[in-house]
Amino acid sequence: MSNKRRHRSPKQIAGRITDNFFTYLFLLIISAVFLFPCLWLILSSFSKSGSIYDFRGFFPTEYSLQTFISLFTDDVNGLYPYKTWFLNTLFVAGMSCIFGTVLVILTGYVMSRFRFKGRNGVKKLTLVLGMFPGFMGMTAIYIIMTQLGLVDNLWSLIFLYAGTAPMGYLVQKGYFDTIPNTIFDAARIDGATNLQIFTKITLPLSKPMIVYTALTTFAWPWSDVLLPKLLLKDRMNWTVAVGLFNMPETHFARFAAGSVFIAVPIVILYFCLVKHIVNGLTAGAVKG
Amino acid sequence: MEKGDRKLKGFYKRAAAKLKAVPRGVAAAFERLFAFLKWAPLKVWLSIFVMGLGQLCYGQIIKGLIYLVSLGGMLWFFITKGFDYIIGFFTLGTVEENTWLGIKGDNSMNMLILGIFAFFILGFFIALWITNIKDAAYTARRVEKGEKPHSFKQTIQTATDSKFHVTALVLPLVSVCIFSVIPIVFMILIAFTNLGGDVIHPVLADWSFSAWQKIIGLSKVGSTFVKILRWNVLWAVTSTLLNFVCGLGLALLLNKRNVRFSKFWRAFPILAYAIPGFISMLGFKFMFSQSGPINFLLDQAGMQKIFFLTSDASAKWWARGIGLFVNAWISTPSIMLMTTGILSNINTDLYEAAALDGANHFQQFRKITLPFVVFATTPVLISQFVGNFNNFGIFFFMRSGVYSLYDNYFLASDTDLLINWLYNLSVSNNYYSIGAAISLIIFIITSAVSLLVYVNSAAYKQEDTYQ
Repeated sequence: MSNKRRHRSPKQIAGRITDNFFTYLFLLIISAVFLFPCLWLILSSFSKSGSIYDFRGFFPTEYSLQTFISLFTDDVNGLYPYKTWFLNTLFVAGMSCIFGTVLVILTGYVMSRFRFKGRNGVKKLTLVLGMFPGFMGMTAIYIIMTQLGLVDNLWSLIFLYAGTAPMGYLVQKGYFDTIPNTIFDAARIDGATNLQIFTKITLPLSKPMIVYTALTTFAWPWSDVLLPKLLLKDRMNWTVAVGLFNMPETHFARFAAGSVFIAVPIVILYFCLVKHIVNGLTAGAVKG
Repeated sequence: MEKGDRKLKGFYKRAAAKLKAVPRGVAAAFERLFAFLKWAPLKVWLSIFVMGLGQLCYGQIIKGLIYLVSLGGMLWFFITKGFDYIIGFFTLGTVEENTWLGIKGDNSMNMLILGIFAFFILGFFIALWITNIKDAAYTARRVEKGEKPHSFKQTIQTATDSKFHVTALVLPLVSVCIFSVIPIVFMILIAFTNLGGDVIHPVLADWSFSAWQKIIGLSKVGSTFVKILRWNVLWAVTSTLLNFVCGLGLALLLNKRNVRFSKFWRAFPILAYAIPGFISMLGFKFMFSQSGPINFLLDQAGMQKIFFLTSDASAKWWARGIGLFVNAWISTPSIMLMTTGILSNINTDLYEAAALDGANHFQQFRKITLPFVVFATTPVLISQFVGNFNNFGIFFFMRSGVYSLYDNYFLASDTDLLINWLYNLSVSNNYYSIGAAISLIIFIITSAVSLLVYVNSAAYKQEDTYQ
């Protein structure tokens, strides 16, 4: 098409112009719809006064960096110790990430490479379990954690996040399914044991999958509210998500600043990983 | 439709065939068991009666000791606690609390969960016992052939090599059992007790169908259930369609040939997608709150303030509409990303052929793009439907703690979905058995939809090729 220029009538040109006009108009409107709330939150975090009542409309009247500074230095008599919350979140997410990744990768690898008795049973069991409403067992989890003496302890969350992570092994299994069997067979012939194959061949081959798994197992505790809300009673033990959930309107600027602070790393991650995520989404589309 | 019916029939036929095969399978298993017992030498019999004894006799000291120690541990557990736990599971407590006499009463809920726990330990114990017998039999066969029993070093080697899958799966299985399976089993069972409401510790609970009677009956609970279910279905259908239409529209718009810098434009929806959901939802809550910016501007413009998210009847449709909007804001980008990928798979020759035949843009869209996209995204559409049906976040974050004060809602607001109600009942208000029954209903709906999808998709495609 590009090598020969077609002659266009004035009518066609007019049609093109209106088409362009409406296309870009829609694009502008849509971008505004998506950008505006984010912009609102970001600008609010730079407001000088904290309460939403002083905003007089969407945007603050005066700007300063004060909220970000007091977010970390002033905890309002122990009501909003953001720094502690942040460290708690980092600890929980980091630990769950390490243990969860190990468990998920192991499960995904075994379910992909080995054919053993009970494999189908495990597959069906996870399928059925996945259909129960996610936090259906929360009451039970609370009792179990009470029995284990772990209520109000960050380790309870780590056990939960890491311990239930293997339920989502399907993505990892899908990845291992794509590694050709010949590689493993060759290693078997050379006399490698299954453990050696796993550590020396599989792991180096699956770096992208490990990174992806680590990120997803990190992101979940990073933004979960329900479980920490259930299990952590003492304000000093809260995670950021619970803290933000409990911020009142009078501390709106603090909420905005706290949100921006933990959203930025995640947003950057998403933009770097958008390709992987799209692949994951469309993979789901094929498998259902 | 007829085709779908046939597929369903095929599914039932298979299930029936499997059921018919069960008695034969059981008979075969028993035959094998008797043959095994006939063959088993003395040392294997030792292992059948005392875990680890056979291994010790074969000279596998460490392995035998490990089995023996775990046998001791198990016996100790069951004698000191386990039997009581299992009895407690059936009685759900017999001793009532009496503070005058200083009697610490039974706690029915703890007894239920400890009972389940004891059953799991029992299952694990039996599994361990079977592996012990199998292991002894394996060694016996080796000895029959004149080979030496495995040394401990060899055992470790098997664990990392030919039994690698078992070793690797033990930890994930145990953790999933404790943190996922036991809680779910507990909730299923609790739906058949009268726990919750007035019946919490120190009051003793019992097995009963009271929760189901309340939901089906004409009580406040029953009428709330009907209202919530109706809204829940309406919500799932509208929000799925809305998100799908918006996402597809966005993808088509960004795919248009005259759009320059489409990567730049695409960044805005992705930004919305990347922000942790709870932050966007809480942000919108502030935006629409009573003294939030929108109400302030309405007030300034001389209009009446709208109490978008409060508990009275006027807020009903405002809150529902806002919920739909916020949900679309959050989920449209992911649909857009997905459909963009699908759109790039359409064969462009089709469009050129259509253009040659004189089809205009709209006709091309209706006859080529739409059927293709709908076809390719049907599974996703269904999983989106299930996801929206159980969309807990939106109304939890935007209206948590709001209970509607009109129309006889029982611990629910007019926007609550079943899953929000379940949370209100069982986590916030201790109505355990009703909450558990609701979660079973949610499970039945979700799995019915998923089963329908499953029957209509991958597994049955093969069958189609022969028909």
